[in-house]
Amino acid sequence: MGTISILIFAVFLAVFLGVVTYDLYKSKKNGTNFRIKNCVVGFLMVAPAVLLTFLFILLPMLFSLGYAFTDFNQMRPDEVNFVGFNNFKEIFREIGAGGDMLSALKNTAIFVVGVVPLQILLALGLALFCNRKVRGVAIFKVCFFAPVVISLTVTSYLWVTILSPEADGLLNSFLALFGIPEQDFLSNPDTAMLWIVIISAWQGCGYQMLIFLSGLTNIRSDLYEAARLDGANAWYRFIHITVPGLKSSVLYITITVFIGACRIMVQPMLMIGPYPEGWTLSYYMYMQGTEYSLVGKSSAIALLMTIFIGLVTFIQKKVLGEKKSG
Amino acid sequence: MSVKKIFKIIGVVACAAIVASGIPGWVINDSDADGLNGNTVVSVMFHVSSSSKEGQAYKKRIDAFNEAYKDKKIKATANYIPRTDGSSAYETALISMKISNKLPDIITFDSPKCSYYAANNYLYNITNMVADIKDEFFEGSINYYNGYIYGLPIQESSAGFYYNKDLFKKAGISDKEISEYSDESPWTYEEFKSVCSRLKSVCSKVPVNMSIGGTSDETAPYLLYPFVYASGGQFASEDGNTVKGYLDSEKTISTFEFFQELINEGYTDDKVDANAFYNGETAMYLSSGWTIADLRNKNYSAFPNGSNWGLLPYPYGEEGCAASATGSWSFGITQNHHQDKAAARELLKWLVNDESSRVITEHTGMISAKKAVNEGRYDADSPEAMLLQQLANTGKARPPMVGYSVLSTTFNQIIHELGRTNNLRDLITERTVTLQETIDKY
Amino acid sequence: MAKKKLPLLDADGNEITVVKQNTSKIAKNVVYYVCGAVMSLFFLFPLIYMLAYSTKTEAAIAESAGTLGMFLPDFSNLGAAFDNYKKVLVDYDVAKYALNSVRYAIISIVLNVIINGLAGYVLAKFRIPGKRFFTFIILFLIVVPVETSIIPLFIVVKQMLGLNGAATILGIVFPAAISVFNMFLFMQFFQGIPKDYEEAARIDGAGNLKIFFKIILPLSKPIVATVAVFCFIGVWNDYLWPSLLLTNNQDLMPVQAALTIIQQDTELSAGAKMASLVVTSIPIFIVYVAAQKYIVQGFGTAGLKV
Repeated sequence: MGTISILIFAVFLAVFLGVVTYDLYKSKKNGTNFRIKNCVVGFLMVAPAVLLTFLFILLPMLFSLGYAFTDFNQMRPDEVNFVGFNNFKEIFREIGAGGDMLSALKNTAIFVVGVVPLQILLALGLALFCNRKVRGVAIFKVCFFAPVVISLTVTSYLWVTILSPEADGLLNSFLALFGIPEQDFLSNPDTAMLWIVIISAWQGCGYQMLIFLSGLTNIRSDLYEAARLDGANAWYRFIHITVPGLKSSVLYITITVFIGACRIMVQPMLMIGPYPEGWTLSYYMYMQGTEYSLVGKSSAIALLMTIFIGLVTFIQKKVLGEKKSG
Repeated sequence: MSVKKIFKIIGVVACAAIVASGIPGWVINDSDADGLNGNTVVSVMFHVSSSSKEGQAYKKRIDAFNEAYKDKKIKATANYIPRTDGSSAYETALISMKISNKLPDIITFDSPKCSYYAANNYLYNITNMVADIKDEFFEGSINYYNGYIYGLPIQESSAGFYYNKDLFKKAGISDKEISEYSDESPWTYEEFKSVCSRLKSVCSKVPVNMSIGGTSDETAPYLLYPFVYASGGQFASEDGNTVKGYLDSEKTISTFEFFQELINEGYTDDKVDANAFYNGETAMYLSSGWTIADLRNKNYSAFPNGSNWGLLPYPYGEEGCAASATGSWSFGITQNHHQDKAAARELLKWLVNDESSRVITEHTGMISAKKAVNEGRYDADSPEAMLLQQLANTGKARPPMVGYSVLSTTFNQIIHELGRTNNLRDLITERTVTLQETIDKY
Repeated sequence: MAKKKLPLLDADGNEITVVKQNTSKIAKNVVYYVCGAVMSLFFLFPLIYMLAYSTKTEAAIAESAGTLGMFLPDFSNLGAAFDNYKKVLVDYDVAKYALNSVRYAIISIVLNVIINGLAGYVLAKFRIPGKRFFTFIILFLIVVPVETSIIPLFIVVKQMLGLNGAATILGIVFPAAISVFNMFLFMQFFQGIPKDYEEAARIDGAGNLKIFFKIILPLSKPIVATVAVFCFIGVWNDYLWPSLLLTNNQDLMPVQAALTIIQQDTELSAGAKMASLVVTSIPIFIVYVAAQKYIVQGFGTAGLKV
């Protein structure tokens, strides 16, 4: 382990020195020189960040990439063999045969397709609602944002109690008022994931609401004035001024909510458990690595997820058509 | 100085103080304490919380050990990591320690997992070490792997159907009938079902709680696996490496179908919990010897002062043998960084000696794994005696296999689906294939 | 009350009619507030429920189930509430775990601001060779998801670095202290600080570090506050990684990880379990309310720049 890390570090060092040399060379050519003292101080100041990034972000990422092609079993950390694409073959076989991997895919898909539009629309609606200079709007903002702040664990345990399948659970007693018999909610495989969608949207939309709000305040109000004077009604103003004006916010939010949705793990883990209706990609991947100690397979799933998320993000950027600044 | 500045300073000082206050805790945590005062330190890790009854028992024995071995300069330290369901904190702790090469000298482990830990070099071969005491134990309780001993039982266990006498009377089940079942020849599946159907009308919830809902940990596998043996089914081959053809064999599938039948007939389900029995809403409760102590000491509404209950054995399958649940956790010595195992051997022998076994089982209410401790311990008519007899006659251990925990998880997944799937056979077949694939890697 | 007003004229001399909207405006406002209240209830009811639940004994919970009393704390038996909280805080040591979280948060925030701040400062202001290389890597790392690396991270921390015992804390604090996103934020912000401040200081003979701490940071209060707030929230709410890392050092666990152990304890009443949820949420709420300004600001920066 240590030797591989040193190797990787050496590679990075080499690349870095190469870039440095190149820059020095170019600067010599241009006649603009680097001040030595500045450079040394600069490097020193960046050093801790570089070290930590390398240790805790880069290394794990690269290891994960590497493990995906091995049969690393945590119970036997010394017997690691390179197995090429075996892990991937097995994953696809499992998908084809309808095993847990397929359930994980299915559930994650359900969740993403459910939560992304729901959360975004909710957030947009709330943002529009709060985008007024009325007294007390701040209180509403606080209320809508409140669920965002509590942690995933608290939310999970809280909602498990609310959705208790007993007749005296909160939601069940509410339904009883309408004569609806007691429901299973989370214990019912058909509805379990749907509830996770609802709960996630409930918790998350306040966050996106704030982003939308800041986007809304950036739309020039004189655009609205002009439209109003021209006789445009609220709906028209919405479609032709608000929506285009929010384009960059929508792009950012769609991407982030999508990525977050693909990686959901804690809520199904704490609310449903290790059953077919509860698997999501991240949860299954985590369990493979910890419970079953199959780090190789776990990393393979991680790699596939990363590629998939990267691809979809790229496509989204293209379709929603904004250029990234910076 | 402005107010703002004062606040700032107070803030900084407060933060520094909070952080600093943690330092003593960190230092204590860190003391590997090897060779404190010239002692040989031997460490043990227990799988229960130190405030539980079982944890108290362990604490007593550790203290007694330290007292007894003070002159010999051996000191035992103990760590308590309760196993929680779902994320198996205990397992993760073990893996984490192995990775950082800091395993304790002695660990506890669930006996069916002996092969798993032995094969993965967690456990140390203690055959020679314990050769002189091995005959003190029930032979079936000793943990073997490849013919060598890797663990000794902390205690033994058995389970049975606790029943509510009042509800049985109300359902018209006579004492005579019960006595037939409690005898040498346990009841059959048919008789079991007949009792359930009669109980249905007098129970406000399902008549029997079989922990079908206990699928988040070892509860359901522990209580239900004997049914597979009783039906003549199997889990895996002798060497534990093949499950295809065993877990999906006809007889095993028929056991799951039996459970499914019980659910469909409304005799049991996965929602009922222990309280239903304690409140008199359910008439029977399949549980281990733990419950004896609870029933006696906690004044449940249906069993005031520990009255009104009895204990029935596991039923006979139509073919095959009768089987009942056995097995609990065991002690084992680890292959860790301490080369000299002499001190560990002393502690191990201490923890499994008769006195320890007596103290521990007094606290837990389970059966001792040592023959001498059990002699004359229980009254002939007591429920403990019945369990002891069941243990001796029909106790069958869970299948020892390297991939046991995955088997257990698979079992749980199947049980979890019982109430919902129409395609039990396919489910079991697919699960078996996945299971086989996983254990092939081990 | 309508008074006869002089007609208003616009630039061309045409009359502008001002429609009186007083009553319908009030009606609109009322509708608005009512809608707002109803929606707020949808978002708040679980939290109110959590609070109320945590003050009751098992019996009281069963009693009030199914009625509106579910949302009301049990005023008749305040002793039960006290019991629940005391049990959770003292007997089950939640106070200890909460203190752990606070400590980790403080250390992480300090490290976070310094390490990421310095990095962002260099990237923004310094001319060093290889700078573009760094910037590129940062942008790249922001995009790659981090959760997929939890297990390799575990191996790095435990096996490679061999952090054990108390040193495991470093495994919590350092990963929390490094954030490529924050580096990026700092860089963007510092780029906006005019050079004059630095130059003035340099003329006065100040060294680079001094400039950073005495000039740049004080000028960057908003971004530092934002980073601090989000770092605190992150450390406080983090569950998965600490629970994985600290399984055999449970004393050192932060509050969310300890929460899962408490929730599974069979001896604890449901009300007390709820109390543990409340206790772990209150500090976050306080921070949130106090730092509202910075949170909103943080979103502004995030929403626009990426």
